[in-house]
Amino acid sequence: MTNFAPATINQLKEALQTALADNTTLSVQASGTKAGLGAPHSYDATLDVSGLQGIISYEPEELIITAHAATPLASIETALAEKNQMLAFEPPHVSTIYKTSHDGTIGGLLATNLSGSRRISAGAARDYLLGFEAVSGRGEIFRSGSKVMKNVTGYDLSKLMCGSFGTLAVMDEVTIKVLPAPETSLTLIIGCATVDQAGKAARHALQTAYEPSASAILPKGAHPLSQSMDCALIRLEGVAVSVADRQSHLSDILGSYGMTDIIEGEPSQLLWQSLSDGAPVADKGNQIWRVSCAPTAGPALLQNIQSHCDCTGYFDWAGGLLWLATDDEAAHRPIREALHAQGGGHATLMRADDQLRRTIPVFEPQDPALAALNKRVQDSFDPHGILNPGRL
Amino acid sequence: MQMPKADQTILDHRHMIVAGLKRIVPAHCVLDDDSSMKAYDTDGLSAYRQMPLVVVLPETTAQVSAVLKWCRDEGVKVVPRGAGTSLSGGAIPLADGVLLGLGKFNQIIDIDYENRCVVTQPGVTNLGITHAVQDEGFYYAPDPSSQIACSIGGNIAENSGGVHCLKYGLTTNNVLGIEIVTMDGDILRLGGKHLDSGALDLLGLMTGSEGLLGVVTEVTVRILRKPATQRAMLVGFDTAQEAGQAVSNVIAAGIIPAGMEMMDAPAINAAEDFVGAGYPREAAALLIVELDGPEVEVNFLLERVGDIVKSSGATSVRLSHSEEERNQFWAGRKSAFPAVGRISPDYLCMDGTIPRKALPEMLTRMAMMSQKYGLRVANVFHAGDGNLHPLILFDANQPGELERAEEFGNDILRNCVQLGGVLTGEHGVGIEKRDLMPEMFSEEDLRQQQRVKCAFDPNHLLNPGKVFPVLHRCAELGRMHVHKGEVPHPDLPRF
Repeated sequence: MTNFAPATINQLKEALQTALADNTTLSVQASGTKAGLGAPHSYDATLDVSGLQGIISYEPEELIITAHAATPLASIETALAEKNQMLAFEPPHVSTIYKTSHDGTIGGLLATNLSGSRRISAGAARDYLLGFEAVSGRGEIFRSGSKVMKNVTGYDLSKLMCGSFGTLAVMDEVTIKVLPAPETSLTLIIGCATVDQAGKAARHALQTAYEPSASAILPKGAHPLSQSMDCALIRLEGVAVSVADRQSHLSDILGSYGMTDIIEGEPSQLLWQSLSDGAPVADKGNQIWRVSCAPTAGPALLQNIQSHCDCTGYFDWAGGLLWLATDDEAAHRPIREALHAQGGGHATLMRADDQLRRTIPVFEPQDPALAALNKRVQDSFDPHGILNPGRL
Repeated sequence: MQMPKADQTILDHRHMIVAGLKRIVPAHCVLDDDSSMKAYDTDGLSAYRQMPLVVVLPETTAQVSAVLKWCRDEGVKVVPRGAGTSLSGGAIPLADGVLLGLGKFNQIIDIDYENRCVVTQPGVTNLGITHAVQDEGFYYAPDPSSQIACSIGGNIAENSGGVHCLKYGLTTNNVLGIEIVTMDGDILRLGGKHLDSGALDLLGLMTGSEGLLGVVTEVTVRILRKPATQRAMLVGFDTAQEAGQAVSNVIAAGIIPAGMEMMDAPAINAAEDFVGAGYPREAAALLIVELDGPEVEVNFLLERVGDIVKSSGATSVRLSHSEEERNQFWAGRKSAFPAVGRISPDYLCMDGTIPRKALPEMLTRMAMMSQKYGLRVANVFHAGDGNLHPLILFDANQPGELERAEEFGNDILRNCVQLGGVLTGEHGVGIEKRDLMPEMFSEEDLRQQQRVKCAFDPNHLLNPGKVFPVLHRCAELGRMHVHKGEVPHPDLPRF
């Protein structure tokens, strides 16, 4: 079967029109780092978009970068770092859990809408895609959004593209909002007697005016930092004088939950990158799950799951994101049942062998009316289902 | 502005439609006499007025669902309405359409400080959410200028912004979940107290869809702790170029102020005449820079901002030393619209966005257009994110002036697009900018947007005549031309 490797948007359009004419289903790939994410699906040919790469323009004082979608994430992060800026949603580096040689492309990151620890204070990947140019599954070039920061002209199709796993259209050019990188970062550790206490401390910090940028919970034994206690981790970022001031106030307040300690500088930065990446569970089981729930529901959710299956996990997003590792092939049942019992959310199977991902739903099952609407929206971009069919 | 031609069959059957609706909802929820309906004949774009076919004010989600399903089955159009403050005509009624008002959905359902969110009915005002949580030190961040009146459901429909969205984002960045009712009557929950979802982001799509995709019946928003300190700086410049450069320099230094507002000389003087805020009348451009956060941080960064604006050519710099003084700095900016209303019988408020670097060029072009159309213009500007609000001064009693003002406004928006910007930054397209959409979007761009509309509402019954200049039938939009069995592009690289 013919595979495609377009290097321009017009070639991309031609590739999709050819696939349409030949009734060819496609697997859209650039670096393939996230091939293990999503449901395994069959396809007739690969659409290798890795030729669509390179930064097109970067204007630090406008807080905007425009790049071709297959630009490596590392290239974008390097360019931004040179101007003391960043992708504020703190992209997970997926090589940690997928054991790939690098961390994929900006387009793949947006298509999977993956966000790290700063999600709770700065938003998700979907909050930063300002506009794009793409070829739809109809083989037509279209644009949506813009290259300015404030825009409500027409439907916000950027939101739809983020998290669509390449099932609607293939993006070429993407414009992303960027933000200044913080000058200083510091982590406050609070050792607590129970996970519940650590959860309370993690949430309490977010209810203060001291503006934590991230908040995590490490159950006892889940991480080298939590060998003997359940821990809450709070990150403060900003100018040094502010970070120091907020740290002293927060230490006073959170001291009532347990002993506090501090990690500064590079170790602090590396710690949060590893929490964003899922590193603490990366080697704790074959399956890795990412479960999003209301922050207050987190600790009980983990207890509930652990009473039914052997697993280990930790929380980001103040308890609202549970990273879980297990080898139990039936784990999806207690995970999704417990999630339902705790008020709902969604559980995504981030890593598992193809066989298991074929057998159980990778993404949270939807009620029929909502699933039908999702399908109609998908069809409005890709009526013949040629793009990554069955992956989402 | 042309609205789709009213369907005579619907008009002829009005009494049957009213009777049908009264079977679905209690009779007191249906308003069909002219005096009651009069209150709904326009929104914030009050130059346009249209009496609806009938007004329905449901009290439950089940009623909303029943009304929409019945209207779909009967082929009757529906215009959803929150508080009716849209500046782009998003809630303007249709002569042959049911006006569906959500005003009775006015209760806050759940305040959850630990999860930092509020679950509310859509008719609660934007400020009503803040009022409900402010005693505990929390607030809802997006602050459109109409926040005392506009509803949170309307904010979802329009993806409303405000002066603080540079730092805190628009509505879309602050909404966690919604319940919607589709034109089919399906009640769907999108999002909730958790973040993100494992399917298409229909929550993000719904936000800013201007009431064309579904009716919002419940909203979950993020609330934030009120910042410990807010301080503002008032900075005068001799030229708008220097003021624009100062804004860029502040951001390039890694500082994201809570708000950065700019006013030009006509706006400065109108505001000064009106409230006497102490603005420098001799300045060609005025910046208000507000920082919020921990006190030490605000003071430290304001010192940096002070140095930056001075080296950018500031001719006057004042710093607020009390809450009273900060409010005084804002008083002129916040009264800019009524202040302009005092010096002109009527004005049009425009809402384009440009890349910030294009500001000097835009102001030059605006001055030339002002001469060309023979109408004055005053500018207020969300400088941090490039969102312009030119106020075009005119007198509707002078024959032809409204049309001239509208043409001037259209010209401004065309120039925004030419300079790399957009038609609307926060007010929405509605009917006001509907016919300008092809300036910004290609035919295919617009067709793809309408195909999404077709996935929700294939018969164009929900809020038709808004946003899209041409209504294509969904069957026509869905048609595809595929050459089966041919290889149309032999030059394509293959392996």
